[in-house]
Amino acid sequence: MKKVISLCFIGALGVLLLMVMASMPRMGDPQSPTNTRVIDRYLEGAEEETGTENVITGVILNYRGYDTMGEVTVIFTGLAAVLAVLGRERRGRIHAYPDRSPIRPSIIVRSAVSFLLPFIVLFSLYTVLHGEISPGGGFQGGAVLAAGMFVFAAAFGLWRAGRTVPPWLRYAVEGAAPVTFFLVGAAGLVGGAEFLTYMLPKASAGLQPSLRTWMTLLVEGGIGAGGAMIFLSILMAMAREEDAGGQAA
Amino acid sequence: MDRLLDNYHYAAAAILFCIGLYSVIVRPNIIKKIIGLNIMETSVFLLLVSMGWKDGGIAPIHGGGAEAAAMVNPIPQALILTGIVVAVSTTAVALSLVILLYRQYGTLDVDRLMKEEESESAPAGAGSGEG
Amino acid sequence: MGAYRHFPILIIAVPLVTAVLMPALSYRRERLCMPVAAAALSLSTMLTFLLYRVVRPAADGYLSYHLGGWDPPWGIEIKVDFAGLFMLSVICSISLLCLLYSRDYIGRELEGGRAFAYYSLFLLLSASMLGFTATGDIFNMFVFMEILALSSYALVAVTGRRNAVRAAFKYLLMGAPSSIMVLLAIALLYSATGSLNMAQLKELLAEGAYSRVVFASLVLMVMGFGVKAALFPLHSWLPDAHSIAPSPISAMLSGLVVEVAAFALLRLFLSVYGSGSGAVSGTSEALGVIAAAGVLFGGFMAIFQKDFKMMIAYSTISHIGYIVLGISIMNEQALTGALYHLLDHGLAKGCFFLCAGAFIYQRGYRRIDELKGAARRMPMTCTAFALAALSVIGIPPTAGFISKWYLIWGSVAGGKYLYAAVYLIGSILAAAYCLRVVYYMFFVAPPPGVWEGGPGEAPPLMVVPVWVLSLATLVMGAASFVVINRLQEAARLLL
Repeated sequence: MKKVISLCFIGALGVLLLMVMASMPRMGDPQSPTNTRVIDRYLEGAEEETGTENVITGVILNYRGYDTMGEVTVIFTGLAAVLAVLGRERRGRIHAYPDRSPIRPSIIVRSAVSFLLPFIVLFSLYTVLHGEISPGGGFQGGAVLAAGMFVFAAAFGLWRAGRTVPPWLRYAVEGAAPVTFFLVGAAGLVGGAEFLTYMLPKASAGLQPSLRTWMTLLVEGGIGAGGAMIFLSILMAMAREEDAGGQAA
Repeated sequence: MDRLLDNYHYAAAAILFCIGLYSVIVRPNIIKKIIGLNIMETSVFLLLVSMGWKDGGIAPIHGGGAEAAAMVNPIPQALILTGIVVAVSTTAVALSLVILLYRQYGTLDVDRLMKEEESESAPAGAGSGEG
Repeated sequence: MGAYRHFPILIIAVPLVTAVLMPALSYRRERLCMPVAAAALSLSTMLTFLLYRVVRPAADGYLSYHLGGWDPPWGIEIKVDFAGLFMLSVICSISLLCLLYSRDYIGRELEGGRAFAYYSLFLLLSASMLGFTATGDIFNMFVFMEILALSSYALVAVTGRRNAVRAAFKYLLMGAPSSIMVLLAIALLYSATGSLNMAQLKELLAEGAYSRVVFASLVLMVMGFGVKAALFPLHSWLPDAHSIAPSPISAMLSGLVVEVAAFALLRLFLSVYGSGSGAVSGTSEALGVIAAAGVLFGGFMAIFQKDFKMMIAYSTISHIGYIVLGISIMNEQALTGALYHLLDHGLAKGCFFLCAGAFIYQRGYRRIDELKGAARRMPMTCTAFALAALSVIGIPPTAGFISKWYLIWGSVAGGKYLYAAVYLIGSILAAAYCLRVVYYMFFVAPPPGVWEGGPGEAPPLMVVPVWVLSLATLVMGAASFVVINRLQEAARLLL
């Protein structure tokens, strides 16, 4: 019965949504409101104003950098939420993460992962650093790095992953993204300009463009490293077994 | 109505949204509900990105002589970058709650969880437990 | 304006960064978590109150901050107008009091390993509400709303008990789709206008293009924020979540989080879509009916509850109905009443939940029956509760009376006599469920074995916030003239 009511409701919603979609501006119309307002300045001016050739990087880090600061806070909140619910390992103890699978990954898998992992890490670095001139960016690179670490954990076991990336490193770098945002943003404040202006107002005008590039890179690196560590920490929190007492230690 | 055929990306997004919502509301398995949530989120991202399309558009990256006038809209892409991160975080929090629920109740079925809720609250009056 | 113009971003960013540093801090010294958090929130509170010298309820009296130096609509704008500043000060003060209360309460409720996560999430909860209120960009509003949502899901479940996890998951299962609906609404609004800045949206939407898309986005916004504000009939997550969460979190959730969602509806209706548009007038009629139903539903259900915190949770549903009903009436007096009710409901409901927490902390008593004769052993907590109850019912000279006065005045001025009657019935229902508890506390003898021997009043760090909140309802009622005129002016400007 409940299923029938829900189906009717969703069907009605679907029909209404389709009607709305039919009333929207035609997709691809160069005269639609989204394509005529605001974006001209982004598309033409991004290179001089933000120092990045990739307009999207300019938008997310510079024009709408505050949103990206909020985004890194969201992912950090996700980590804090997972830790609040599942707990974190006690200081000084690396838990034995039991390996539940009946089959140990074969030698083929382990060799392939050992071979590929350096390239994955290199590619993630490339993605982060190249975010300004090609598709890529901080978060994208961080996701690739996290994926590499997950593959390592899957092939070699979580205990080895936990030893390779020790807890103190994870704790220190998790907060990196919002903190670098705040530091870079506050640097702009110090000289009297607004928060998140990528400049040090005390420095000379000739130095500003390269300062801006360095600050952007710093933020991208922070986002990438922070994101990767956060994902790894979430994985380790979720995969950790409870102690015999029935409570996650 | 013919605009609906032009806007077929939007129509696909609307249909996906409804499929996702169906999964969240109707399916009893918790993991399927979470997957439904992800489908809903992805449909909105599809909608946003399709909105940025310009006829004959190219990627909004300077360099190599790309013309600014032909570039697609960069704003929706920036918006969905943030949106994807938000979706991932929500999924992570939801899954951690599911892990605890499974450890404590041993079931992933919402109907059985509701039955546990009634049997817990019946002896003690409404809302037993700590807070 | 000088240094003042940087205050808004500092108010938001300082708690945010402190929250992020908590895990690293706890690695070295766990005991510092709460004082550091309290310091961050105190700084924000101070800066917020200092801003009252600069922000005035005039057409040019708002503070606009362009992040990164980019003018809107190319950059994100932080906009603090008088109504927003009012909301910011409510959020800061109540958050600080609940944080102070948390030290003892959480010390007992949570095993030590998780305290840092609690304080981190608490600060994120407060910072996200501050950022949500102060922004002038709708996508930015969505991002902060997500921080708010995720931290509140986790804080409900933080004790790890079975029913807490279940309540948190139920909250998530309703809250996450509602967030996605808000995102869809933002997408539709963007496609119709091409802008994300609230001030620019108001101008563009006044032109009336793509009205069907705009109307759909308004409906989706109402549905999305309606779930977050626990508007009847989308309220079903609230009773469990608010009654099972740790008491300081219940106080934050009922007193601030649902209110911020209602404030978002106010902001959207007035500062984005504009009160003159057809979509808004049509929707607000429907919203009025729903809100009125919520007032009555919440009030009735509260009377029949046996668990103390459940009763308070249903009372929240009723009072959110008051606020949304005031918004839907769309005139100056009703809006002033709704805005002022944000303050007095936050204070009174916060006080209620903190009192409930005191009883649980000292004795473990959750049921209303167990509160019989409580005044003999915990007189300070019970008196504070009684004072706050006067505000919930709306008896002069409390703040609750002022807000209800304006709400009823607004309904009559708008010709909506039925809604005025609904408000009065709501007050009668509130009297029923509140006075019953007060009667039990003061005038009924306790059942045998209950309240004998054992601990008396709660520790000072818990009793002081309870009393500050309770006295504030009285003070803000008697001294309301300090701010109510400016609030009315702000309401007039918003319309």
